Amino acid sequence: MLRRILIAEDEPYIVESLTFLLSREGHQVTAVGDGAAVLPAITRSRPDLLILDIMLPTANGFEILAEIRHNMALKTLPVMVLTAKGQDADRRRMTDLGVDDFVTKPFSNHDLVTRVARLLEAPRRMTSGGR
Amino acid sequence: MTRFPTGGQIRQQRRKKRLTQSALAAAVGISTAYLNLIENEKRPIGGALLKRIAAALGVEPSHLSGSENLRLTQDLLELARIYPDMPAEEDQALQLIAAAPDWARAFLQLHRRYRDATETASALSDRLSQDSALIGLSHAILSRSTAIRSFAEILEQYPDLKAPRRRRYAGIVATEAEQLATGVRAMVDLLSSGPGSAMPASPEDEIDDFINYHRSHFPALEEAADALRRRLGGERPSAAVIAERLRTAHNLIIRDEAAGEAADPEDSAIIRIDGTLPEPSRRFALARALVGLEFGDLLAEMAADRRFISSDAAEALCRRALAGYAAGALLFPYDGFLAAAERWRYDLDRLAQQFGGSIEQIAHRLVTLRRPEAEGVPFAFLRSDPAGNLSKRFSTLGLHMPRFGGACPLWPLYAAFRTPDRVVTQMALMPEGERYLLIARCVAKRVVGYGQPETLFSIMIGCDAIHSSRIVYGDAYARDPRSGTPAGFACRSCSRVDCPQRAHPAILASTASTKDTRLSPQAMP
Repeated sequence: MLRRILIAEDEPYIVESLTFLLSREGHQVTAVGDGAAVLPAITRSRPDLLILDIMLPTANGFEILAEIRHNMALKTLPVMVLTAKGQDADRRRMTDLGVDDFVTKPFSNHDLVTRVARLLEAPRRMTSGGR
Repeated sequence: MTRFPTGGQIRQQRRKKRLTQSALAAAVGISTAYLNLIENEKRPIGGALLKRIAAALGVEPSHLSGSENLRLTQDLLELARIYPDMPAEEDQALQLIAAAPDWARAFLQLHRRYRDATETASALSDRLSQDSALIGLSHAILSRSTAIRSFAEILEQYPDLKAPRRRRYAGIVATEAEQLATGVRAMVDLLSSGPGSAMPASPEDEIDDFINYHRSHFPALEEAADALRRRLGGERPSAAVIAERLRTAHNLIIRDEAAGEAADPEDSAIIRIDGTLPEPSRRFALARALVGLEFGDLLAEMAADRRFISSDAAEALCRRALAGYAAGALLFPYDGFLAAAERWRYDLDRLAQQFGGSIEQIAHRLVTLRRPEAEGVPFAFLRSDPAGNLSKRFSTLGLHMPRFGGACPLWPLYAAFRTPDRVVTQMALMPEGERYLLIARCVAKRVVGYGQPETLFSIMIGCDAIHSSRIVYGDAYARDPRSGTPAGFACRSCSRVDCPQRAHPAILASTASTKDTRLSPQAMP
């Protein structure tokens, strides 16, 4: 079944590799490279999954995630965070904000694709995972 | 307590002098049999006889009685408590010291070197995790590695790729590998220069490290200040109350001088206060003098933290910095100050008016509101003189105040010099997307006569934009939560390649640009 995935990532080569991998899995992939463009893109394309880089220009991933989890229309959207930071504090902060899964760069393609499949198969979250 | 083996020491010293038992016994006027009993710890010894034996052997009595070795014994026992496998019996420690004192000292010295090396490694690790240049480089290197790994795996796992696509992906791997090599070289250069060095550059840096390690909060000083305030009988002690306490409890007289530095109160029965200081600074100087006397032992103990403080000069500076902290805690009580800060939404002027403090004292006190169960907005702090020399750097988890060189020239820290005594704010957008609310103000340190040079500083506090709704200065940016001024931390680590204010080349170029964000004019309430 075709699923829509939105990638929010400002490194163009990482976007290109993710787009290739997820398209080969049969998904429809769109991407934005700027934090401010993420919420409008979600409203426009209604994705089934957001893959979100935590370090984006204009608005960082933490802020975007907080807005998603406080927005009634978007709060059940599954979000996978991509981050260059693997530190405990960031992971705790992401978990508090209600992230569904996170992957630390540099990731393995197989691991990422498997996690994406798992999130897309999981039943939609019933409540916000945020505090 | 086990007795120090004085007899063993006597025997050791006697043998060193190549004296027989009978010769030494004759010299001090006792029988050989009695000396034998003493040397075998069968008879206690002290007083006049010990002095005579010491004189005959040409050593100090304390050398034989063990008081000289008391510290050595305590150090060994302390070591035994650190290492659970070591024997912790005092008896054994004493025997070791008596039989082979040089070995005992060598053992302790070895432990100290090991401890120093471990602490240096910890400090280095801490430094690496806080340096903004390294954070920027790490991010760039991880991004390059991610692209290389992903495309390399695609090339390996998808044999059906068409030739043009295969060529493109292979090209990306080559390009990114080249960028990665550049980044790694830059990181090696950086690590082998300033920030990678094991010890901080100056005593001031050591104090900054020490305070940052404690997250700008010292519960012991807060408790001591609360207790002292209760003894002084007031919610916020006035300058007169503090002066009276200095006079009655410490026999010190306050003298306002026309010019010059206030002397260290420990040196004299007179405290000389610079008469050009404005009233809040005068009150603060008196409070610092008082806590320096009342909390002397506590301050000395805290400042002797060898993990951060490596010299006597740094230790003296650290004591002074901690006394300043305690003075702030005395004058601006934690709970009342936090409540007022929340009520006034961190308005510096209103807090200064309510608590009778200077803007710098108020800003500094805000930084210290980090009690875990009652925490204020976590602020970072930075101070600059008009030449751009930075001092008092206190960082938070995200907002790292630069250690080496200047800060980002776009920060309001510098713009504030153009409009003294007015708050200048900025919502700074960092290259990696973080947003920080920065609040700066230029202040004069003392009252000067016409034609005299002013002593100006710009002070700046800053916090993550996520807190801006709690802060009055954040209102200017509430309408557009994405607005802000593209900025960085410092030129060297900043990836905004086209920044018109760039003073130094970036270590690693990136795609971030000052044009990729929407601008808003600096708010100047």
